Amino acid sequence: MSEIFEFLFKYRPILFQEGEVSLLSPWPLPVVIGVAAILGVPALLTYLRARGRSSAMDRGILLALRATTLSIVFLIVMQPGLVLTSVVPQRNFLAVLVDDSRSMTIDDADGTSRAEKAAALADPQSPVMQELAERFTLRYFRFSSSTNRVESPAEMTFNGSATHLGAALSYAHDELQGVPVSGLVVISDGGDNADEPIGDALLPLQAVSLPVFTVGLGDESPGRDVQISRVDVPRTALVGSSLVVNVLVNATGYSGQTVPLVVEDFGRIVTTENITLPADGQPLVAPVSFTLETGGVRELTFRIAGLDNERVVENNVRESLIHVRDRKEKILYFEGEPRWEVKFMRLATRADDNVQLVVLQRTAENKFLRLNVDDGLELLSGFPTTREELFQYRALMLGSIEASFFTHDQLDMIADFVSSRGGTLMMIGGRRALAEGGYKGTPLEDVLPVVLEEPDASSSPTDRLVFLRATPTPAGINHAATRVAGSSEASAARWDSLPPVSTTNGIFDLKPGATALLTGEVVDGPGDDRDRVILASQRYGKGRSVVLAVQDTWVWQMDSSIAAEDMTHETFWRQLLRWLVAETPDAVEASASPESVEAGDPVTVTAQVLDAGFVEVNGASVTARVTSPDGGVVEVPMEWSVENDGEYSAMFTPAQDGIFEVAVEARRDSVVLGATESSVRVAPSGAEYRDPQQRRPLLERVAEDTGGRYYTADGVDELPEDLRFTGGGVTVTEERDLWDMPFLFLLLGGLMMAEWGYRRRRGLV
Amino acid sequence: MLVAWFGRVGSAEDPAPRDASRFLTPGHPSLPSTAVQDPPPEWHEFYFTRAAYSSGGFGRRRASWATDYPKADRQFLTVLRRLTNLDAFESENAVLLTNPRLRDYPFLYALEVGYMALSPAEIQGLREYLMAGGFLVIDDFWGTREWLQFEYQMSLVFPERTIVDLDMEHPVFNTFYEIEEILQVPAYGRFQWGTTSEQDGYVPYVKGIFDDEGRLMVLINWNTDMGDAWEWAEQPNYPLQFSTFAYQMGVNMIVYAMSH
Repeated sequence: MSEIFEFLFKYRPILFQEGEVSLLSPWPLPVVIGVAAILGVPALLTYLRARGRSSAMDRGILLALRATTLSIVFLIVMQPGLVLTSVVPQRNFLAVLVDDSRSMTIDDADGTSRAEKAAALADPQSPVMQELAERFTLRYFRFSSSTNRVESPAEMTFNGSATHLGAALSYAHDELQGVPVSGLVVISDGGDNADEPIGDALLPLQAVSLPVFTVGLGDESPGRDVQISRVDVPRTALVGSSLVVNVLVNATGYSGQTVPLVVEDFGRIVTTENITLPADGQPLVAPVSFTLETGGVRELTFRIAGLDNERVVENNVRESLIHVRDRKEKILYFEGEPRWEVKFMRLATRADDNVQLVVLQRTAENKFLRLNVDDGLELLSGFPTTREELFQYRALMLGSIEASFFTHDQLDMIADFVSSRGGTLMMIGGRRALAEGGYKGTPLEDVLPVVLEEPDASSSPTDRLVFLRATPTPAGINHAATRVAGSSEASAARWDSLPPVSTTNGIFDLKPGATALLTGEVVDGPGDDRDRVILASQRYGKGRSVVLAVQDTWVWQMDSSIAAEDMTHETFWRQLLRWLVAETPDAVEASASPESVEAGDPVTVTAQVLDAGFVEVNGASVTARVTSPDGGVVEVPMEWSVENDGEYSAMFTPAQDGIFEVAVEARRDSVVLGATESSVRVAPSGAEYRDPQQRRPLLERVAEDTGGRYYTADGVDELPEDLRFTGGGVTVTEERDLWDMPFLFLLLGGLMMAEWGYRRRRGLV
Repeated sequence: MLVAWFGRVGSAEDPAPRDASRFLTPGHPSLPSTAVQDPPPEWHEFYFTRAAYSSGGFGRRRASWATDYPKADRQFLTVLRRLTNLDAFESENAVLLTNPRLRDYPFLYALEVGYMALSPAEIQGLREYLMAGGFLVIDDFWGTREWLQFEYQMSLVFPERTIVDLDMEHPVFNTFYEIEEILQVPAYGRFQWGTTSEQDGYVPYVKGIFDDEGRLMVLINWNTDMGDAWEWAEQPNYPLQFSTFAYQMGVNMIVYAMSH
């Protein structure tokens, strides 16, 4: 298409895009119009007066053809031309950036690697580079996780652990500050894997109209390949927790094939799940369930063995770190009356060494029973009245306790417990819970994930009692809280066989953004037989709210259809309670970024330091104690980052492969505010092998957003001329004739032939 | 020896009574059949559930489970509902040990167990009930002879478990009321004769049977009769200290059962 255009219009489309079409005739336009009028008007009148055998329509058509012909002749006489801005030879610099990352070593379908193609293209002796060198002063850069100026492309190693394209563009732009630059040429497969969005790096280039010309290398199809694209491993978990990790798998060319997905904990297989690979382009989310019984930092490896004729096997593996904490998490369960749920929940979790279920139970008016407290002072005055007292717990469960029991400050404090402290609030159904407990219109109504509907004032709890059969929703089938058997199928079957539970709370609708895990079909009871929400949750601020809108899950233990040794009820409550505290932050939290690096890459440790009331502390003394795999310990002081209250950071650079453990401790006036840990995995990165095909859309976007152009390896010959007219720097104006472009003469000839043909046909010759 | 002495009690080799039909069955004249066979008419969190079991002996002993029934149950429930905020069904609820519906009621009360003679089905029903999480309170049996009979019956339910004494530090004594001393609660009639004991049961005990993880499954009140104190609390000549103790202990047992 481009060739046809160039034949007809003499030049390639990009020149028309960059230049302006203008009339180059030295005669002033009014003079030309006057001369045309003097010649044209008599001719027109002659045409109109001529009669002969012609009809009015004939004269009209012939007049139009002749007028058009004369117009084109007139246009040619006026010398149309293309006014272009072209760079001055050898007065401008041009940056050539070559991708030096590992993904360039991937072989394409033609048997050669991208690295070979890049080396050939960037070779100073190549035709393209020689042509560029005639017009520009070339500066070579190589980029991967970092960017360096190189004297010659021969210095490429193609061993970079990551591709940070945006940073490379910024680096080259900065390096060439102060000299006239015509543009940046990027030779890459586009496999950018930086955390920062590329758009941020393009803004400075757009501001100075510096175009980027991208040359895309690599097949645009991944070929036959299986890839573990993502694993959703939580950062922390309690020892013994049953984890359900979603593994995102992409595959091309293996649709329908069943393969084992293996999960290893430091090389020891913890589970193997057979998965059926999806159709091309259809991602598969495979839930994998396993339990980690050993505390400390664990390295999990998710692996699919290489398949027959697979293009890239390095992306079949994904590693992730998880902190398995062997400690007790405190949950406060406040129950407004004696209920069997208390007994059976405690029974279900009594063997759990990692959950401390503290119970405060109102057994009579102003009389409270405290269970599982640390000492005689805990909850001595009843429900907490201060943030420090309440925020020591990681989750709060409210049973059948009416809203009016609490002061307004306490209700606000509970809402803050979720939104500011990051704790989890779970409200359990009961005659004094949810809307029936008067929570509509209170600060907690906003927190809850369900819509509270005011109950009919004339009905009693018994009138509203319905029995529900619990069914997991699609989100609940493989959820860590509701997967009660080894596989999703077995779990669904188990839920189906459990006896109905009852509720007097009419919960029908979720709030926007909330997720239902269990719903209930009404199997017995009066009135509205719409399905109910049984278990639902939503994020609220930093924390999470949950509603379990039934009142007697203990029947899943006691019902006569349940064998005494059955563990469904225990499993449900154990998992549910662990899920409640799974994401609750400590007062001092630390994270390392990135969590996985190569030796020599810097790591930033960031800590959030709060006091017991979860208020940010700026004047703390915070230290990161970094333990390397060989046992060496380095203490790094962390500085308060002034931008954010309570945020401290420090950097270190791991020098060897392995797992670096980072223990952070925060003190204020010698009082320990808190301590936490994080970790960094130092190993050769596999990031470069993910999505191994060329990312052409990214390269095209970079070119389009900056006024440059994208080229394939085959079309790169056009680059030098394009650069001549589209590049910035020192330029001159250049005029190119258009009057002699073939299109005009073809059109002229065509019009004359049309007129002659019409006259012949109508007998007017 | 004991088996021979009782004659009608099942043996270890043959725990079944020789003729189960002679013992308690649904529809027995002494059983209010509606109470046993029909579920309560309305849903509540708590039902004071009385174990209807088979028993030996003669006369009222043939339905010893129904001693003080239902007046004791109703009076106790009246006071229980007033003292606590428990959502309790206000009437009696007797259930056969063989009824699958037994598992709907995690609290179970049995008395006069010195005459208990469980059938194999009852043994299995009670064992599964307790293992699943049920809680059994035993009351109103006296002296060595009835103890041995009860102990034997429980050995059929739990051959591998022993009965142990509860000390005063046990939570059942302070879950709601602080109880510092175990009183011997006399039967109404016995106190009129000037004594609090029956047979050779001079010292009251609170004992228990625990599961492998230390959960108290069976709470045994031996040489005492709290049921009579509940039943006759309104009598002016029944001493207040005994009825007070019986009600306090009853509330404690229920609050404990619902939280432990």
